[in-house]
Amino acid sequence: MSTLRLQVNGQTRQVDADASTLLVDLLRGPLALTGTHVGCDTAQCGACTVLVDGQAVKSCNLLAVQVEGKAITTVEGLAPPGQTHPLQQAFMDCHGLQCGFCTPGMLMTAACLLSRTPRPSDDQIAHALEGNLCRCTGYVNIVAAVKQASVAMAGAAK
Amino acid sequence: MSAADQAARFGSGQAVRRIEDPALLRGQGRYTDDISLPGQLHLAFHRSAHAHAVIRSIDVAAAAAMPGVRAVYTGADLVAAGVQSIPGPAGFPRPDGSPAASAPRHALAHDRVRFVGEPMVAVVADSVDAARAAADAVWVDYEELPAIVDPFAAMQPGAPVLCDAAPDNIAAEMRHGSAEATAIAFARAAHTVTVDIDNQRLAPSPIEPRCVLAWVDTTDGRLNLRLSSQMPTGVRGSVAAALPGLTPEQVRVQVGDVGGGFGMKTGIYPEDLAVAHAARSLGQPVKWRAERLEEFLSAVHGRDVVSRGELALDADGRVLALRVHGVANVGAYATGTGVAIQVLIGPWVQTSIYDIPTVDFRFTAVMTNTATAGAYRGAGRPEAIYITERLMDAAARRLKLDPAELRRRNMIRPEQMPYKNPMGQTYDSGRFEQILDQGLSLADWSGYAARHEASRQRGKLRGRGIATFLEWTGGNVFEERVTVHVSADGFIELGSATQAMGQGIATSYAQLAVDVFGVPIERIRILQGDTDRVNGFGSAGSRSLFTGGSAVSVAATRTVDKARDLAASALEAPAKDLEYEAGRFRVAGTDLGIGLFELAARQPEAAIQVDSTSSVGGPTWPNGCHICEVELDPDTGEVTLVAYASVNDIGRVISPAIVRGQIEGGAVQGIGQALCERVAYDRDTGQLQSASFMDYALPHADGFRDFKTAFDTSIPCKTNALGVKGVGELGTIGATPAVVNAVIDALDAAGLGAAAEAIQMPVTAERVWRALTLREMDPSPYRS
Repeated sequence: MSTLRLQVNGQTRQVDADASTLLVDLLRGPLALTGTHVGCDTAQCGACTVLVDGQAVKSCNLLAVQVEGKAITTVEGLAPPGQTHPLQQAFMDCHGLQCGFCTPGMLMTAACLLSRTPRPSDDQIAHALEGNLCRCTGYVNIVAAVKQASVAMAGAAK
Repeated sequence: MSAADQAARFGSGQAVRRIEDPALLRGQGRYTDDISLPGQLHLAFHRSAHAHAVIRSIDVAAAAAMPGVRAVYTGADLVAAGVQSIPGPAGFPRPDGSPAASAPRHALAHDRVRFVGEPMVAVVADSVDAARAAADAVWVDYEELPAIVDPFAAMQPGAPVLCDAAPDNIAAEMRHGSAEATAIAFARAAHTVTVDIDNQRLAPSPIEPRCVLAWVDTTDGRLNLRLSSQMPTGVRGSVAAALPGLTPEQVRVQVGDVGGGFGMKTGIYPEDLAVAHAARSLGQPVKWRAERLEEFLSAVHGRDVVSRGELALDADGRVLALRVHGVANVGAYATGTGVAIQVLIGPWVQTSIYDIPTVDFRFTAVMTNTATAGAYRGAGRPEAIYITERLMDAAARRLKLDPAELRRRNMIRPEQMPYKNPMGQTYDSGRFEQILDQGLSLADWSGYAARHEASRQRGKLRGRGIATFLEWTGGNVFEERVTVHVSADGFIELGSATQAMGQGIATSYAQLAVDVFGVPIERIRILQGDTDRVNGFGSAGSRSLFTGGSAVSVAATRTVDKARDLAASALEAPAKDLEYEAGRFRVAGTDLGIGLFELAARQPEAAIQVDSTSSVGGPTWPNGCHICEVELDPDTGEVTLVAYASVNDIGRVISPAIVRGQIEGGAVQGIGQALCERVAYDRDTGQLQSASFMDYALPHADGFRDFKTAFDTSIPCKTNALGVKGVGELGTIGATPAVVNAVIDALDAAGLGAAAEAIQMPVTAERVWRALTLREMDPSPYRS
């Protein structure tokens, strides 16, 4: 057991973790951030995707000790408190979610994409989301939502 | 805002934002695994390593001695504690007339294991890691038995037997129609065509794995279960029946957010009982969350039926008779649902939208050393419709007719409604030719030659496929109860035993409530998933909107009627003089009035409450025309969808965005069956070969998304007041035959002719490449 110090959604957190604790279990357990989901526990479905220093990673495939000192963003921290991120708004507008279980991972992967590629093409969006499985939507409205968010964010940045 | 404005913006027919979404998008969903209780223990299973074996002995000593372990349970322990097995199929016959048979499906395997991954031992420990480590330390002495995974081989004399009451491994068999009349029709026919089909086994794969949290409430001693289920009341009944000393009233089942169901979460699982038993015997909360591997191994699979379909036609292409023999692999433990899907529910729609006078159906449900088969989106109808639509294309090819024209010649006409099909099922409504014509137009059917030529010039082989079809919805349970609670604080809560699982049913119900109450949609709250509040059949078979939604509408109307009487006494005016609009009663022609919520505040219980039960008149028969175009790469065999158009009759539409999402998301599941998904077992050992998302190929985001989707809302269902028809399964049912028919059309055009009809699903690049390059087709999967 060691004490980790990390930034979680903008706040410095100190938390005890075993050497074998996975990041996703640290988030869902001691940090009580249950918006990050476990769909396959083998880094195939992407429901557990979070940002580590801005990079989308599958938190079921990372040890907690590997993120010591790093900045973690989960779906709970995607937008400032009381606000709605353009991606969240776009998923609402476009019916980009049904059961919602894969959605946090989709949002975080898409947030990473838009931070690197502000105006992606549909193909770029689909390619970026290829590691995130959705069984409900057929991805139609997910890709449309990410596209809408990219337009909204580009407009806001001007 | 006026009532009319509310209805215009948030009522039925409007594309509102879903009321479910804000919480889910902020990570504030409440899926089962998001709930943890103080003192909660964790359960892990030791599962069978063999497909078929006698359990000689189980040594749990090492596991029990590991740190943090609180208890270890074997199948024998549970039997000794009085835990009953899950009931098998009842009400169906075997070929010899004896009742349907299955080996007992225990909570934990007892004496014998019958499929790889069957739960055998449950370990409860302080942490997930401790429970899993101890589960790995369980030692089982097996006596291996020969395993059988092929249903045809399983029926042969000398095959390994799974259940003594079924020495031929046949769980059940049903025959429908007339073999004699059909034989005569085939003898007289100008044309006959045959297709042999492997409707392969699928893993439903909701992204949320199963999860169960059980505890005993210390204040009242009742057993509480929180789990991810489509049928909370059914789970409550099954738990009470299986665990000793419990009545249904002593069990409370709660369901929060459900991360996808697709039929897989409709009934009790053995694992649920083991978790509940552990919580009762330890007196502490116990949680189990399935790993994805456990889902592939032991959650129910869908489909898995091999069929021979034969069609007899006259010289003009009119179908004279349809003969189908299906052999379904229902897994190691036959269930009522798994058997009914194959021998009854599929056959109900086998003749689909066609006026076919004579049928001969035989459906055989066979047990093998594989996971139990159960409901998966469509449940019997995709299998049936796939056969019929493949036959229609085969017949059109034989008669050299446009496949749309052959279908048109055989469609049931509007003036034949209500129409009773050969299975005795009555369709209330349907204008199938009208749907076909719109589908052809949307897909630009007549402009196909130019697209085919353009593909050819790019070096691609283009094909197109059509499916015109209907399906049955409803579970044949038509009564629904809805509780209404209008509270003084300004909210109307409607309780329903139907269950949300991502289909947006809460939003659709809220829209229906807005229609009646005329209040802002934010004032409506939908309560589901608590057997202490409302009980009923639950959500399956695309039934929620037409049964539950109709009941919501009735309950809302009854509530306004009751409130009118209360308002009459409050306002000291005759009820008949009161007008209701936008949450307010007003004495006609005056300014005198009272608000609905103010009225609630004045009641002794500070609320207006209505407990309403109502019924619809029958199932619904949604239908559609789905048209797909594909391109084959002759070098690699890769199949690429290039166009998909569908026109759907789901009656009246309550939530346009939601139903579009259902059709298109459902179609992608059907495309998954057509092109990539398959559960595979090793034929000799019965080991599961497709046990992760690396081996079981779900459609990904880079697949086809460019759907053209339309609805014809001019044909309301006549058996419910809303005029709605089920929608959840329609896309899945239509997509699979539309895609495969398109692939076969492309192969036919590439020179294979009718030989292309031998290709089987999933139509992988390898299969297409072998067909194109080697002229090598799949051997028939059917053996009589």
